[in-house]
Amino acid sequence: MPVPTSERLLAYVILIAMAALVLAPVLAGSITAFKPQIIWVSSPPTWIFEPTLENFEFVFFTRKGWQYLRNSLIISFGSVAMALMLGVPAAYAFARFRFRGSKALMQWLISLRMIPPIVVGLPFYAMFLYLERGLGIGLRDTFPGLIITYQTFLLPLVIWMMRGYFAELPAAMEESAMVEGYTRMGALLRVVLPVVWPGIVATAILNFIFAWNEFFLALILAGNRTSTLPMTAGTYIVRTRVEWGNLFAVNLLIMAPVIVLTVILRRQLVKGLTFGILE
Amino acid sequence: MARPPNTQPMSKSYLPGNTNQPFSTRLYQLTQRHRHWFFIAPALIVLLTVVIYPILFSTGVSLFRVTFASQSRPFVGLQNFERMLGNDDFIQSALNTLYYVIFSVSGSFVLGFAIALLIRRVTAGKELLRLILIIPITMAPIVVGLMWNWMLDPLFGLVNWFLGLFGIPGQTMLAQASTARLTVVLVDIWQWYPLVFLIIEAGMATLPRAPFESARLEGVSSWMIFRRLTLPMLRPVILVALLLRTVDAFRTFDIVRVMTDGGPALTTETLSLYLYRTAFTFNKLSRAAAGSILMLLVIGLISALMFRYLYRDVEVG
Repeated sequence: MPVPTSERLLAYVILIAMAALVLAPVLAGSITAFKPQIIWVSSPPTWIFEPTLENFEFVFFTRKGWQYLRNSLIISFGSVAMALMLGVPAAYAFARFRFRGSKALMQWLISLRMIPPIVVGLPFYAMFLYLERGLGIGLRDTFPGLIITYQTFLLPLVIWMMRGYFAELPAAMEESAMVEGYTRMGALLRVVLPVVWPGIVATAILNFIFAWNEFFLALILAGNRTSTLPMTAGTYIVRTRVEWGNLFAVNLLIMAPVIVLTVILRRQLVKGLTFGILE
Repeated sequence: MARPPNTQPMSKSYLPGNTNQPFSTRLYQLTQRHRHWFFIAPALIVLLTVVIYPILFSTGVSLFRVTFASQSRPFVGLQNFERMLGNDDFIQSALNTLYYVIFSVSGSFVLGFAIALLIRRVTAGKELLRLILIIPITMAPIVVGLMWNWMLDPLFGLVNWFLGLFGIPGQTMLAQASTARLTVVLVDIWQWYPLVFLIIEAGMATLPRAPFESARLEGVSSWMIFRRLTLPMLRPVILVALLLRTVDAFRTFDIVRVMTDGGPALTTETLSLYLYRTAFTFNKLSRAAAGSILMLLVIGLISALMFRYLYRDVEVG
C-alpha cells in the first residue's frame, strides 16, 4: 500500500520527536558521567568540557564498584544458568509430549508472571531468617540464596520461550535420530540442541537482562556481601546532595551492557516480553 | 517413515497391568509412559519451592502475629486482614496503585499503539528509529527513576532549563502533592510504552493483507479501516498488551522508590512500597503478609478476567 507523502512526513516528525524525548535524557545523563565534579551541577548545563574518567575511578575503586559489578555478574550468570538447566528440558517435554495436564501446566506457568514480587519477597525474607535461626542454613546475603530466588521470574520465562523454539523444529528430527540408535536424551543433546542453539542464546540474553536489572528482590535479600549494581545506584543520593557524576557513572555501567544485548536481540525481544503468549 | 520404538502404539501385552511380562519390562513401560516427568519434574519442584511454598508460607504468617523481634507468635485469625483493610494508609496506597494502573496503562497503550501505527509509514531509517524507541524498556527501572530525578531537578534539571527558555519558572514537580503522582506516571509511561509498541507491531505483522487492500480499493476511509478491520483483528494482541501492562503497573515499586519514596504525604505511595515499609521499617511482618495476599487475590482476579477474554480468541498452551 503506497503511503501519501504528507502522511509519511507527519509520521517522521512525530517519531523523530519521540526518539529525541527518549535519547535526550539518556545521552545528557550519560554525558554527566564524564564531567569533572565542578560542573556536575550547572545551570545552564555545560555541554563543552574535557571528558574525564575520574567519576568511574571513584565509583569503581573508592566505592568498591568493581565488587558490585562482580556480584551482579555472578548473580545474573548463575541464575540464568540455573534457569536454563532446569527450564530447557521442561520446555522440550512441553513441546514434544502430549500428556494429561500439559496445557493446564503451561497456563499455570503464565499465571506466575502475574505475581507481584512483594508476594514472594516477603516470605522469602522470613523463610531465610527461620532457616538461619532454626537449621543454621544461611541463605540471606549469599549468591545461592539470590540465584534460587530469581528462579521465580526467570524459570517460567525460559520454559515458555524455549518451548516456542522447540515447537518450531520438526519432530521427525529426533525420531530419525532415534531410529539410528540414539536414546531420546542422546537425540536431544546431539541432534536437537545444536539446531536450537540460537534460541537458547536469545533466551539466555533476555533472561540475563531481567536478572541484571532486578532491584526489588535484591533489595530485600541481598546485603553487604552480595549487593548488586542497581542496589548501589541509590546510595549516591545523600540527604544533602546528589553525586550526579558518580551516579551516572553507575547508571552507565548498568545500562550499557543491556543496550548492547538489546541490539543483538532486537528481533527476539517480543517473544520474551510477552512470554510467548502470542504464538 | 519408521516410528521410534517408544512412540509405537502399545499392544495389549505391553500394558503395565499384564503380569505375563517380567517386572523389569513392566517398569520400563511405566517409565516410558511417564517419561515427560523426567524432563519436567526438576523445574516443577523448583517452582513449587520458590513460588507456591512462599505464598503458602505467607498465608500462614498472615494468620499469626509475627514480628522479626519477638519469638512468640500467637494465632490471630483474620485480624491482620481486618487491620489492613481498616488502615487509611493501606487504602490510600491501594487508591494510588489504582491511579497508576489506570493512567500508566492507558497512557503507555495509546502512545505505544500510535508509534506502532506510525512506524509502518516510515521507510528510511526505520530500523534505527525502532532501536532508539525501545531503549527505555531495556533500562533498569531504578536507572530510569534516578535519571528523571536529575532531569526534573528544580534548580538545574534539563526540564526546567528547557521550560526556562520559554519563560516558565522552575517547577518542583516531584515535591508537590498536586503534581508528584502525575509526574511519576509520566515517567512510567516513558519507560513502558515500548512494550505496547513491540507487541502491537508484532501483532500487525501477522495480519493478512488481502482484507485491507480490498477495503482500500473500495474507498473505505483510513479511520473506518482502523475501527472495523485493524482493531478487531488485533483484539488478542491488544489484550496481551493490556494484561502485561496492568500486572506491571500494579506492582510498581522501583521508580517510585527512587523518585519520591511514596511522598509527599503518601500521594505517590504504591501497594508494593507500603507493604515493603510495613514489613521492614515498621517490623509488622504479619500485616504486610496479609496485605500481600490481598494484593495477590486482586491481581489474580483481574488477570483471570482478562485471560478469560483472551482464551476466547486464541489457543494458549
